[in-house]
Amino acid sequence: MDSVNILGKVIEISHSNLEIASRIEAILNILAHEMHIEEAALYTLDKDKRLSCRFMNRTSRLFGILSGYRCHVGEGVVGTVAQKRVPQYFTSRNVPPRFGCLFYADLDGATDRYKAFAFLPLSDDSFVYGVLLLCSSGRETIVDSEKIVLSIISRELGGILHTYDLLVSSKKRISELATLSELGRVLTSATEPHLLLQNIATITAKSFNAAFTTIKLAHSFVRLDFQRFTSGEIDAAIEGPLRDLESEALRLRRATSLGDHPLEAAPNGGRLALYCTPILSKDRVLGTITFCKKSEQQLAMEEDDQYLVSAVANYISSGLETSFLNTKLRDVLKELGDAQKRVIEHEKLRSLGEMTASIAHEIRNPLVIIGGFTKRLARQVQIDEKDNRYIEIIIGEVARLETILNEILDYVKDTPLLQEPCNANSLLDEILYLLASDKIWERVRIVKGYQAELPSVVCDVHQIKQVFINIILNAFQAMGGGGTLTVRTEKALYQDRSCVKVSVADTGGGIDPSLLDNIFNPFFTTKERGTGLGLAISNKIVMHHDGHIEVRNRAGEGATFGIYLPINSKTQTREG
Amino acid sequence: MKPATILIVDDEEHIRLLFKEELEDEGYTVDLASNGLDALDKLKRSAYSVIVLDIKMPGMDGIQTLAEIKKINKDQPVILCSAYGEFKQDFASWVSDGYIVKSADTRELKEMIRRVSGV
Ligand SMILES: Nc1ncnc2c1ncn2[C@@H]1O[C@H](COP(=O)(O)OP(=O)(O)OP(=O)(O)O)[C@@H](O)[C@H]1O
Ligand SMILES: [Mg+2]
Repeated sequence: MDSVNILGKVIEISHSNLEIASRIEAILNILAHEMHIEEAALYTLDKDKRLSCRFMNRTSRLFGILSGYRCHVGEGVVGTVAQKRVPQYFTSRNVPPRFGCLFYADLDGATDRYKAFAFLPLSDDSFVYGVLLLCSSGRETIVDSEKIVLSIISRELGGILHTYDLLVSSKKRISELATLSELGRVLTSATEPHLLLQNIATITAKSFNAAFTTIKLAHSFVRLDFQRFTSGEIDAAIEGPLRDLESEALRLRRATSLGDHPLEAAPNGGRLALYCTPILSKDRVLGTITFCKKSEQQLAMEEDDQYLVSAVANYISSGLETSFLNTKLRDVLKELGDAQKRVIEHEKLRSLGEMTASIAHEIRNPLVIIGGFTKRLARQVQIDEKDNRYIEIIIGEVARLETILNEILDYVKDTPLLQEPCNANSLLDEILYLLASDKIWERVRIVKGYQAELPSVVCDVHQIKQVFINIILNAFQAMGGGGTLTVRTEKALYQDRSCVKVSVADTGGGIDPSLLDNIFNPFFTTKERGTGLGLAISNKIVMHHDGHIEVRNRAGEGATFGIYLPINSKTQTREG
Repeated sequence: MKPATILIVDDEEHIRLLFKEELEDEGYTVDLASNGLDALDKLKRSAYSVIVLDIKMPGMDGIQTLAEIKKINKDQPVILCSAYGEFKQDFASWVSDGYIVKSADTRELKEMIRRVSGV
């Protein structure tokens, strides 16, 4: 044997560009040929710690038998070599029957013609990747120099298997990434929750090679028409166990599996395995996703797969959240659009009303003057019968015009246009923004304490705006232009009705207790230039809305006005 | 008995003239003012049984004028009047002693003055 020649060839092949399987087979062939060995078979160590015979040289006869059973590590000679990582050499005299493995029954008689046997671990410093098995009929023993060559070659083979493992797992990673990126694409493209879930079920079923994938949403969570999204078919026999497993996963809030479930309905007595993982969002359980694998396939989920499954579950949860947010956003936008349309409509009517009123005003004055003086003329004695008739006609026509004006104004007034839902927070924001942009507000610190998700109140927004402005201006005026204005909103009860309460607090020293009873009276004012109508009108408006204004002094500090507006106003049209 | 004195406050000259003549025919003494400040000035100098106050006036409007009148004499009888018709009546009649819509037919005005002045 020319060991240098063999090693040269082996190393050349092992570093070639050939496919990994071809490299291994080529090395096994060289070994067999150069060392006069009939059987050169290679076991690889699988994920589940079992050794399977996967490669052989061209002339191998035993491969059929050896590949029929996967040895556990520690079982038989092959398993022991893998476990201890020490080569073992035998002759026909001391080789254990069936290589020490009971399941190799077919080896009986088949190994008789071989005289020398070698079992070599394929390993590097840290890990064993497989076992090399050699049988020779031409030679009695394997000499030491050959053992050295074999140990070098087995190291080389170990290296190749290691690369092979890496390659397989990176291929797997790549396919996982592909799955995840496909999911990502779906998540960003589909906006409808049910489309999203259906797509996810399809993609994951394909990438896990599952008999079916099913996503089940938790009851508490969704208002979707469908609760379950499935790709593939759920066999009737598995439905019960599936439900049990799903509720188990929901309850435990972690992945659970059901291995090897007998499938009664299947004609060949097939078996199924289920793997179910909960879809968790920040603080709630959205549902579960379950994969079903057929038993010819590997039943247990591998660790890597579990990782992928939980990544998928995370994707689903964030996708669902986004999707529901989107839906909500769309609804809100639509509502906003509708509201805006209504506002524009109202504004149109309102300005139409105001325009009509001012035209009526402009017309009525001259009309009153014409009619009034004509009437005076009519009372003069010296007018003859005919002239008097003309005058009566003028007076009649003026009266007719006045009636028309009144009818127009009645119509404008009666238009029930002023009730609309109003969000106090945004209305206050708008008012404060407008007021505070004035330079004279420079020395006022504005503190806002709004309750989030405040219900809206149905009201005449223009009137309520007037109320807020009056009360905020009073606060501003009380503070002599400088101080702290605190505006809060919250839900509160007034006379057992749920209301939105707006509080306006100032640091203007408060109201003289002896005057407190008067401040809502019309024309009551302590201000040089005040009308004393601000609070009177505000109070009237709020009462029209079935609401209430309360006042409180904060000793040595200022006044706090609380405005209660019922969420569902009884008053549906404006009074008076 | 001394005839009641009425102050008419309106920015329209011919309305003032019409009302004045109509009320004088009824035996009232009538004073005129063409704007809010003018009215306040007159009120500070003489007393009136009733003030007839137009709501829509340039500068100081009727409501502001009314507030100032109440500062001078919070019991001063005031009738608000406007050309607006029913519009805003709710508010106007609530803050004053009476509210009328201007009309070529002055009977309603006269009736209201009688009622408010107690004459
Ligand atoms: N936040 C407050 N602090 C102290 N006093 C107040 C406050 N709000 C109202 N008041 C008192 O109540 C009175 C009546 O207020 P209201 O808003 O009705 O009229 P005004 O503010 O005097 O006049 P206008 O509103 O026409 O400017 C005020 O003159 C003031 O004396
Ligand atoms: Mg005020």
